[in-house]
Amino acid sequence: MTKEQILDKLNDMLTADQVNTDADDLYDASADRYKKYAKAKKVLDNPLPTAIVYPKNTDEVKELLMFCNEEKINVIPRSGKTATEGGLENWKELSLVIDGKNLNRILKIDTYNMQATVQSGVPLQQLEDELRKLGYTTGHSPQSKPVAQYGGLVSTRSIGQFSTLYGGIEDMVVGLECVFPDGHVCRIKNVPRRAGGPDIRHIAIGNEGTLCYITEVTVKIFKYFPENNLFYGYLIKDVPTGIKVLREVFVNGYRPSVARVYSEEDAHQHFYHFHEGKCVLIFMAEGVKPIADACGQGIEEAVEKFKDGIIKKVDSSLIEDWFNHLNWSQKDIDDEVQEMINNDRHSGYTTEISADWETIPQIYENVIHRIRTEFKQADDLIMLGGHSSHSYLNGTNMYFVYQYNINCEPEDEFRMYHHPIQTIIVEETLKLGGSMCHHHGIGKYRNQWTKEEHGSAYYMLEKLKETFDPNGIMSFGNIFYQEEGAKFQK
Amino acid sequence: MKIICLLKFVPDVDSFEYDYEKNVLVRENVKQLLNPDDACALGFALRLKKTNPDIEIEAVTMAPHSVRKFMEDILRRRVDKGTLISDPLFAGSDTLSTSLILGTYLKQTPYDVILTGSQTLDGDTAQVPAQIAEFLRVSYISGITKIDEQSFLQGSPQVEVDTENHTDIYELTFPSLLAVRRESKYRLPFVRFADLESDVSEQLQIIDNHTLNIPPDKIGLKGSPTRVIKTYPQTYEYKEKIIVQNDAEGIETVYCFLKEKGYIK
Repeated sequence: MTKEQILDKLNDMLTADQVNTDADDLYDASADRYKKYAKAKKVLDNPLPTAIVYPKNTDEVKELLMFCNEEKINVIPRSGKTATEGGLENWKELSLVIDGKNLNRILKIDTYNMQATVQSGVPLQQLEDELRKLGYTTGHSPQSKPVAQYGGLVSTRSIGQFSTLYGGIEDMVVGLECVFPDGHVCRIKNVPRRAGGPDIRHIAIGNEGTLCYITEVTVKIFKYFPENNLFYGYLIKDVPTGIKVLREVFVNGYRPSVARVYSEEDAHQHFYHFHEGKCVLIFMAEGVKPIADACGQGIEEAVEKFKDGIIKKVDSSLIEDWFNHLNWSQKDIDDEVQEMINNDRHSGYTTEISADWETIPQIYENVIHRIRTEFKQADDLIMLGGHSSHSYLNGTNMYFVYQYNINCEPEDEFRMYHHPIQTIIVEETLKLGGSMCHHHGIGKYRNQWTKEEHGSAYYMLEKLKETFDPNGIMSFGNIFYQEEGAKFQK
Repeated sequence: MKIICLLKFVPDVDSFEYDYEKNVLVRENVKQLLNPDDACALGFALRLKKTNPDIEIEAVTMAPHSVRKFMEDILRRRVDKGTLISDPLFAGSDTLSTSLILGTYLKQTPYDVILTGSQTLDGDTAQVPAQIAEFLRVSYISGITKIDEQSFLQGSPQVEVDTENHTDIYELTFPSLLAVRRESKYRLPFVRFADLESDVSEQLQIIDNHTLNIPPDKIGLKGSPTRVIKTYPQTYEYKEKIIVQNDAEGIETVYCFLKEKGYIK
């Protein structure tokens, strides 16, 4: 099929305002934040999608997917557009971006059963604002909260800044509706728990658009008690000390909503006004007062246990103030684009991994050492550090953060800097048995390690793809390595 | 069209540290960089070549062998040919002797136009380009902030030279030597990712005085009439850093400082 024939067909299926072929919008849709610098400089070399379409209901999604499946046209599901790992990048000549912006209705807020149902294009901020009016919260607060939408949040297994209390999106999703390439619509009902075979929610959660299109989600909601929030901050000796304190808090059963350790370098980015060149440990406890207070006490006891590594306590109002300015908005994204255009620099990149308590300090040390000694452009680094920001009973994550002076052409920037650094992080993590992606998804630039990530369990992932997307039309290149796409990676 | 770009690699003065006790510059581990004015000259040539691939560019420098790696870096930016003029006999050459050495090579080499920087970060005398032009008997102008590409391609470039109060426009005819200022902002492109490891050794020629055959008494210290009568180090005072908080007192401190220095009236 030619592009013109596809557009003719789309115009038969949808109204004119649902089919977008604006050149600027197609360029914008051809890549995400993985190639943000090349994109801002207008030098992207991957193909433009054929069109962006905006279905208004599940039936239209179904019709579009069936058409693409029949004609073997690549489909890129999109909602929110905050992807960072190439998940929204287009590698195919014929490609349709199905954007969820018209699937924008909050269908139900049920405060008795503590759940809310939304269409996949509903912005997280919108649901959060509605819930706050009622004294509730989604509990989900990724940095992209002002921009992110539910379809993207669920399909990438996103996580928020308060995950240690509320969980990741996978802990919040009660049920959902999704459409497969053959047009089958699946509705997974909303129940508190069931033992009805494998938990099929997880076929859709984190599928990164490779199996199905998510059209509707029901998530848990939580009572909100901001008046009881407690904030704690400490300057500490090193990252391993911070990790030990985090572990102590979690293994004793406490669930602070925020629990973070920052390296000196990363602390300088966030806490320049008080970190005094040291690592920073922060906590936030919330909930009903007795729980928040008990959690606060647990934090203080853990800090006391490792007092040899604690340098000083920080005024809690500084931590509270920092939390209130943590999210980035569309304006922040736009400002960064302008900075890239005008001044040839950006705010850096991150790569997030996870491992058990014992392994995470070793991964951190190995990664920093290898980047400092092996990365060819190490002289250009102006910041290299990391923080742990999501902890569990058995381990935690590490969010590597790096920024550099860009001494290359924009077309080469990700190959010269971000990808080689990310490669070191992934290699060191997999070598020690950690997971190479904690919450951004695999996208297109970590797909070369998907088999290694899953080992013998890759069989299950592969079979899911073969079964649900036999024609390989869904998000070509996401999760699953494709030789045809290697030219865009290397 | 053949363009020769004359280049000089200079110490990165921004990376100098100052020893306040001994009042000397600490020169150890100082990085070398392509002189910024020269980088703009080469940047202009490469910019033209991008849209006119038939243009041939030769980069020429006079320097010790140690700059070889920098010349290779230049060649990886898709410069066609590099020439490193290097001989221990050249050590200590002043601007007159340097101009003679470079000029002698250029006399033996075909070109349509020579591009270079107006001034260097280290010497800053701006004599070499003028002396080379005189030696070659070609038209010359320095301080260029803009070159009209169309007229350049036709062999009679119109160039803009900024003075304090106005901009002059001159027209020259090839062969000529044009000296560009960094204010022109002709950007030197980076080495592309695909070319980072490329072998450019065959594009680089290294020549010495056997090739140029200049009498030894005309080069090096012997051939340099410039005599330094006296040098003295510039002295700098160490100044304490003042770190202020983002509060009324801090703002007042910054305000008073800017006012004292005349930035605020």
